[in-house]
Amino acid sequence: MSLAEDRQLYEKICNDLVELKDTSEMMMDLAYSALLLSSQQLAEEVIMLEDRMDNLHTEFELLVLSSRREQEEAKGLLGLIRMGVVTERIADAAAEIAEVVIRSGEPHPVLRMVIQDAEETVERIIVSENSPVVGKTLREARIPEETGMWVLVIRRGNRWLRPKPTIILQAGDVVVASGYAEGEDDLKNLLAQ
Amino acid sequence: MSEVERVEYTPVSVRETLIQMKDISELMIDLAYSSALFDNRELAEEVMELEKKMDTLVYILNMNLMLAARDKADAESLAGVAKVGSLTNSISDAAADIAGIVLKDIGIHPIVREVFQRAEEHLARVRLSENSVLAGKTVMDMNLAAEVGVDIIAVRRGLYWMINPEKEIIMPEDVLVARGTAEGLGKLIRVAQGEVDELG
Repeated sequence: MSLAEDRQLYEKICNDLVELKDTSEMMMDLAYSALLLSSQQLAEEVIMLEDRMDNLHTEFELLVLSSRREQEEAKGLLGLIRMGVVTERIADAAAEIAEVVIRSGEPHPVLRMVIQDAEETVERIIVSENSPVVGKTLREARIPEETGMWVLVIRRGNRWLRPKPTIILQAGDVVVASGYAEGEDDLKNLLAQ
Repeated sequence: MSEVERVEYTPVSVRETLIQMKDISELMIDLAYSSALFDNRELAEEVMELEKKMDTLVYILNMNLMLAARDKADAESLAGVAKVGSLTNSISDAAADIAGIVLKDIGIHPIVREVFQRAEEHLARVRLSENSVLAGKTVMDMNLAAEVGVDIIAVRRGLYWMINPEKEIIMPEDVLVARGTAEGLGKLIRVAQGEVDELG
């Protein structure tokens, strides 16, 4: 394998693991949001993401296996594979939490209380017409920097939108965000003023 | 091998227990990733301790749920609660597996470090300087989550680790392990090193 090919492979492995990790964490947040909001739609979104995780995880493992060049690296690569497995298991758990929503229709009220009272909470806020974020991209709105809360998903009408940095916020958007309970008021002030 | 202990029924609030389990499982993921990123055995051991606690909690939760069900409708909706409880436990098992990579010296591939730099959530550690305005404050007083979107997940003082500190007073020379946005962590590091006095 040439050095350039090596570099390319390394880059791909790295990208895949970043995506596995980010997606698994986003799925957890979305699954808890689905429970909180009793949202079948959001739950189905999580289960769809699980499918994608499975494919991505297989691709990642194949890449890692194809990179075994030197024996001394084998242990390090095992660590990488295990890390991938962990993200996959977290994603599985998220999908199963989402299944609870689909199976039970209306989840037990204690679950909603748990999600709202946990250190990390999930909030749903409607963007008001007067909010300074209207017309701005998500990147320009600087929600995590200003409030300490992360946007998980945006609902516009019947559509669930992934929070890409380039998405332009509109009045009436329902923003689902998670973070520490302390950020809740800041988020409300920013979006719903 | 760790010893498996007998778990006795204890009356607890389902709500409180499940909140605790959700919080612990999330903390464990952060601690486990930190232990891998910093190749740190002590943090990995803390993860293992928390894992044991989770195993006990899931038993106690389920016992309380069983006693709470009075009819078919209860059983149907409480089954979902039990499921979520056992899933927080699965997440903690996954975290323990990451810690296992560290404890078994399987080795942390250099790619892992790069992955953490590119992932959405970042982890950092910093030693508190005696010039820092944070010295002498509790983690709660620092209000980092609201100010800069950063959370301190562990603090090392000498050989002693404080996990998920809240009311403990942070002193110079303490090593803080934090997670949050790259920007927020940058601010925390500058303040902790005494370079600037303002978080904002």
